[in-house]
Amino acid sequence: MKLSDASRIEVSRALVLTGLILYIPSNVLPVMTMTIVGTAEPLTVLGGVEELYNSGLPLIACVVFLASIVVPFLKLGALAWILFLHGKPAYKKERNTVHRIVHTIGSWSMVDIFLLSVLAAVGQLGTLAEIRAEPGALFFAAVVVCSLLAAEIYKPRLIWQTDTTQSA
Amino acid sequence: MIQKPHNHDVSEQGERKIPAGWLECPHCEASCRDADLPPHSELRCSRCGERVKAAHDSYSFQPALALTTAGILSLILANMNPVLTFDVAGASQSGFIITGIEELFRQGYWPIAILVCFAGVVGPALSISSKWYVVAACCFRVRLPFVREVFDCISLLRPWNLIPVYAIATVVAVVKLKMMGAVFWGFGARWILVLAACSLLGMQYFDHEFVRKRLKDLE
Repeated sequence: MKLSDASRIEVSRALVLTGLILYIPSNVLPVMTMTIVGTAEPLTVLGGVEELYNSGLPLIACVVFLASIVVPFLKLGALAWILFLHGKPAYKKERNTVHRIVHTIGSWSMVDIFLLSVLAAVGQLGTLAEIRAEPGALFFAAVVVCSLLAAEIYKPRLIWQTDTTQSA
Repeated sequence: MIQKPHNHDVSEQGERKIPAGWLECPHCEASCRDADLPPHSELRCSRCGERVKAAHDSYSFQPALALTTAGILSLILANMNPVLTFDVAGASQSGFIITGIEELFRQGYWPIAILVCFAGVVGPALSISSKWYVVAACCFRVRLPFVREVFDCISLLRPWNLIPVYAIATVVAVVKLKMMGAVFWGFGARWILVLAACSLLGMQYFDHEFVRKRLKDLE
């Protein structure tokens, strides 16, 4: 299926907006519940980072914080900025650089989804330990997919579209 | 060397026609005039600054072929061996990559299971095998069926090869699980790390411009 340039912009805008809306429940709702010897602990994305930090692992906590909280928000924010300025002559080089960065670092937000999968794989020990996914994970996965697809659909050549029209 | 970009005609199907002697910028799709490059230099798009072409004194497809072959083998081994074993008070459980996907399905979170399956198994498998297919055709100078189409798929699959991210997630999972019990690395985790290294190095050795050129020669 080939999308026209106009459709690409519309679909990207819709995906970015959806991602920004879903970003709120993805961070407010718990993404998983860890039950250890009968004690259930629901964890949000930020809660997981806090837990790592409090356990004396600031470096790992920093990696998860950047990948799961900062990167998705920055990616959506950057894409929103690029789409807002679409067709305008301002900051074309900067937009191009930002798009390249977004494209490179964007997939790192999948860390939390993979983490949930690895934990769920080994954390089914009945009453001793159980790790369950929670609705927050669904919202988080949706945010990741929205941002990945928006960056893929909005091609960098669209940033230069006004130049093309002028020289054609 | 920086080339001034130019815009060429667009066909009725919406595809841009790039005439001989011109190259398309892989990032912003501007057309840049091709030029013979002196050794160790590169051609950059003046519009976006992305590398359009690089001069290689002796570019070889063999490192890319070796890395993709190693990648395919490690992908198979990563999926056939347990990634981690978790032990709490004597009760232990081993998990494969597929176990996590199955468990998420069982818990009713099938959209996440599909996402993990695609980004952690199917995407990397398609990405590495398609690279291997194209590089093998280039390396052995064989015109394999649908090689051009497979080559076009490589850039589409690139964002879905998330094995390096999976490797980081495994390390974070070990750290988290260690707070609750004993964790033992499985052979699968080691193969995931090998696969991540092969994927990252393979990206460096896979030169799209050289591959495109070789495929054109084979046609």
